[in-house]
Amino acid sequence: MLLVLLTESALFVLIAAAVLAERPVALAATGAAILAGLAATRFVTPLRTALGRAFERHHATALVGGAAGALALPLALSASPYWTFVATLALLYVTIGQGLNFQIGTAGVLNLAGAAFAGLGGYTVGLLTVSAGWPSWLAVLVGPLVAVTVGAVLFVPILKTRGHYLALVTIAFVFIFNILMNNLEFTGGPQGIKNIPTLQLAGYPFTTKPTVFGIGLPAHANFYYAALLMAALTTWIIRRLYDSWLGLALNTLRDDEIAAKCCGISITRGKLVAFSIGNFFIGLGGAFYAVMVGFVSPPDFDFGYSLVMLSVIIIGGVDSIPGVILGACLLVPLPERFRFLHEYRLLLYGVVIVVMLLYRPQGLWPAKVRRYR
Amino acid sequence: MPPLELLLQQAFNGLMLGVMYALIAVGFTLFFGVLDVIHFSHGDIFMLGAFAGLSVLAGLHAAGIGGGAVALALAFLASILITGLVGVAAERVCVKPLARSSPLMTLLATLSLGLVIRESVLIFYPRGADPKRFPQLLPQGGFELGGVAVRYENLAILAIGFCAMVAVDLIINRTRMGAAIRAVAQDPEAAQMMGVNLDRTVDATFFIGSGLAAVAGLLSGLYYGEVHFIMGITGGVIGFSAAAIGGLGNVYGAIVGGLLFGMLQTTSAALIPRGSEFRDVVAFAVVMLFLIFRPSGILGEKSVERV
Repeated sequence: MLLVLLTESALFVLIAAAVLAERPVALAATGAAILAGLAATRFVTPLRTALGRAFERHHATALVGGAAGALALPLALSASPYWTFVATLALLYVTIGQGLNFQIGTAGVLNLAGAAFAGLGGYTVGLLTVSAGWPSWLAVLVGPLVAVTVGAVLFVPILKTRGHYLALVTIAFVFIFNILMNNLEFTGGPQGIKNIPTLQLAGYPFTTKPTVFGIGLPAHANFYYAALLMAALTTWIIRRLYDSWLGLALNTLRDDEIAAKCCGISITRGKLVAFSIGNFFIGLGGAFYAVMVGFVSPPDFDFGYSLVMLSVIIIGGVDSIPGVILGACLLVPLPERFRFLHEYRLLLYGVVIVVMLLYRPQGLWPAKVRRYR
Repeated sequence: MPPLELLLQQAFNGLMLGVMYALIAVGFTLFFGVLDVIHFSHGDIFMLGAFAGLSVLAGLHAAGIGGGAVALALAFLASILITGLVGVAAERVCVKPLARSSPLMTLLATLSLGLVIRESVLIFYPRGADPKRFPQLLPQGGFELGGVAVRYENLAILAIGFCAMVAVDLIINRTRMGAAIRAVAQDPEAAQMMGVNLDRTVDATFFIGSGLAAVAGLLSGLYYGEVHFIMGITGGVIGFSAAAIGGLGNVYGAIVGGLLFGMLQTTSAALIPRGSEFRDVVAFAVVMLFLIFRPSGILGEKSVERV
């Protein structure tokens, strides 16, 4: 138990240090420490087994420790509103990634239109709040429903076709969405929708700077905690679904459609359910993004972001729920950390993903084989 | 309703676009045929073809060999060679090793590879972020035929495109390598048992497909008068759509699909108000409808599933 908590505190310190280190010496020291830690857990077998056993036995402690770390992170980042924002963004990607992973990983419904569904959520929030004057929190709840509805209506016929064609249709959908948003009048064209009012819950506007334990936090910390709650709830719901009969049925569907059909699983219905549940969370992430940054525009939801979402789940591990969290927490902040490489960033990003797919295709945190007692 | 001449004119322009799309689509369909994969960086290979041609033209110009036809022919040859080799390298690095794992992996790997190619051009080509002017080397001028303005350069583009297609048809149907490609497409294992060298056949297929994309890239540069590093994204998506409309795996289907997509784009631009902005929406919507009602494409075979 002590080992678990110690490891997690060390991890927390390393993450905070990695994010905050500014001077080259500090950065190099942190990098060396992280590499040493990784190498130790990878190559020192006794340590590795001890850690593995400790985490397995004290599962609950590990979860509580992780939650405490996530809650304490804004305190460590209090000096930097920017990094609080990036951390919030990572949590949004956790939400979106869980939704997308439920579609692609669990059900095998290849959705490359993640950006478009997030955009549907975001634009709904923009239109409802700015044009129709709805309160933000209500709009954030309605946004994902629009994503679900549009997805269900447009894609029912196509869900039957599989693999490559579904990929094509969803890619085409992202392009259609982008062209429409760029050229329609009521969505503001290339300018997008500006001045989306911020979240306000029970008279508490999210722009006030909170103070926790006497430490003044940047205003983005509000969004951080809201996004943390959202990501945690999403992960819990997806976990429950994954462990239920539905998750098992969808896994069967993904692995062998004909066998699934023989077991009495309706293919169209199963795919539609998975697609809709996934789109809900993707749309939720997009809607939250809209109220967080206060505006939406077409380039925020272009095909490149679909790729980032897809990378999150593949780097983490397809069909792996903790993998999505790991993937999002790595892929979102890392490019920001390496901003000094500015123009080579995307190039390296592509290279890293290709190398990763070639040498570790199962992801960093592969899904476990289901166990039944 | 716009006048008939305008429609005819747009259909003619669509033919031009369609030839380029068809050349890209043939690549998609060939790769799908031999390896059952979608090679998503193909769009960026098309872009690379255009830039390779542009560099060769610039080099020739600097060396003083500026004569239109000769320079153009050399540019085509060099670009086909360079792009074909890059295509083979792409296949060796990230298509073939992943061909046995789930299609999702190939998808992401090739999409990322496309990103790498795109960013490399952006970074390493001098002032890569700007659209590059493409020299006008085709004969200018033209004539009018029944209200349709026909330019000589358009005719030249059509001629080059059709030559490339005929060449592919001959390679696939008349050569040993073509027979090997067809055999592998039908059944890779049986083909290997008959003495077909799988690796070499796959390499050859990717060389041919990427070379065609290079031709398409050069034609696109000649047609629009400029090339840009992001042209591969739409080029790739449209090429894939065209291959899918035609039926993946069928070369003639890809050609028909490409021509159809080009015509759809231009005629919808003429028929719909503000059509030039929404032409891609219409074209992609038709692709979606197509896949609903005829998921195996125009010329695709119906696949029967067996357990």
